[in-house]
Amino acid sequence: MRIELDRPRCEGHGLCEEEAPALLHLDDDGELVLDRDEVAEGSPEAVAASAAVRVCPVAALRLA
Amino acid sequence: MSSPRRVVVVGGGIAGVTAADALRQNGFDGDLTIVGDERYPAYSRPALSKALLRDPDGLTAHELPPAIHGGTELRGLGAVGLDVDARMVLLDDGGRLAYDGLVIATGCRARRLGEGNEDALDELTLRTIDDAWRLRARVADRPSVVVVGGGPLGMEIASSCVDNGCDVTLVSQGPPLLAQLGRHLSGVFRSAATARGLRVVESAGARLERGDAGTRVVLAEGDVLEAALVVTAIGDRPNVEWLGSSGLLDHGALVADAAGRVCPGIVAAGDVASVPTPHGIRRVPLWSSAIDQARAAAASLLGFEGTSGDHRPYFWTEQFGLSLKAVGHLPLAGEPELVDGDPAEGRMLLRWSSAHDVSDSAVAALNYRIPIPRLRRLCEPAAAG
Repeated sequence: MRIELDRPRCEGHGLCEEEAPALLHLDDDGELVLDRDEVAEGSPEAVAASAAVRVCPVAALRLA
Repeated sequence: MSSPRRVVVVGGGIAGVTAADALRQNGFDGDLTIVGDERYPAYSRPALSKALLRDPDGLTAHELPPAIHGGTELRGLGAVGLDVDARMVLLDDGGRLAYDGLVIATGCRARRLGEGNEDALDELTLRTIDDAWRLRARVADRPSVVVVGGGPLGMEIASSCVDNGCDVTLVSQGPPLLAQLGRHLSGVFRSAATARGLRVVESAGARLERGDAGTRVVLAEGDVLEAALVVTAIGDRPNVEWLGSSGLLDHGALVADAAGRVCPGIVAAGDVASVPTPHGIRRVPLWSSAIDQARAAAASLLGFEGTSGDHRPYFWTEQFGLSLKAVGHLPLAGEPELVDGDPAEGRMLLRWSSAHDVSDSAVAALNYRIPIPRLRRLCEPAAAG
């Protein structure tokens, strides 16, 4: 599965980083960086990615 | 307790859908039904009073990615009763849903100033997506506006109306945002708001009445405010009436523990639930709290121990050119310490420390770009020491 970022929607809250710190982080400028954008379906990473997608209040992330 | 096989989630908002998703992620593969009275899939409520109201092209700002639970979603259907002994949810169309595990996530509705007299008054509130569309359409004609309510929602609505070119008066019991953000930040926001043209009227109270030209606002001091559009943002009421004869309510409140448990087989999450906080048992009607609580509630329902939805709440607001992010339980009382930033430029990172209770410290970033994980770390006792 692929993590997709809609960058214009991202407001840099960083709630996603709390859910999936191994997959993404905000850099020093508050810009979201996807450290990994592919996760295996059913893996713990996919669960973390799904949690990151859910917690974003501006729906800047999607799992496709 | 044996694990449930048939779970009903009452409430289709972010708490309900998150609980449903979390049930699946915790391995629940039984029958799952989500029932909610709104006609729409779960959306971002914080966006309604921010991007959706403010930005011309913010029309999809509230839309969320689809849920992953794969259960049955019944929309536009409300719960009207709960029979705890028979394990049955009663629906407003006469239907019934049997369960052996129940998630209560029915949220809140707007409290109305003209309660009991809704038909005679033209009072807009902002709680649902339908409310937001209605308000957006009315504001587009640039009417004169009175907003009643000086909390974050009232101020965000006032800000959007000002940005749209409306002449706006805000009626507030005491200084706007004082009850949530404390004296220091309340003053900063008020200055920014008045500089952009907002008129603030402090009043001990207000009521609505029908005038010749429409609905008008009558203040406790006797003044009458007339405007083409009256919007109120005076708080919310939990949707608990359907639980009236269930025996679950305590003085009208649905109380859950830190893991969301109400009683065996029943959990609660989101705006409807009163939960333990450093300030007592109360509702925490915030986005990230609803999600935290929903995940804890789902895990608890499946019998997992030790989960807690009691994280420090995250709160943010955007209004009058200011952006504030705060971690910790509101209100932000007392004098903050300046951690970083430049007050002259309006960029500030502030911390409120509680000497007697480290769980009660809070951090706020004003026009200061900082990710939540860093904000949260500043809240930790080690950072405060």
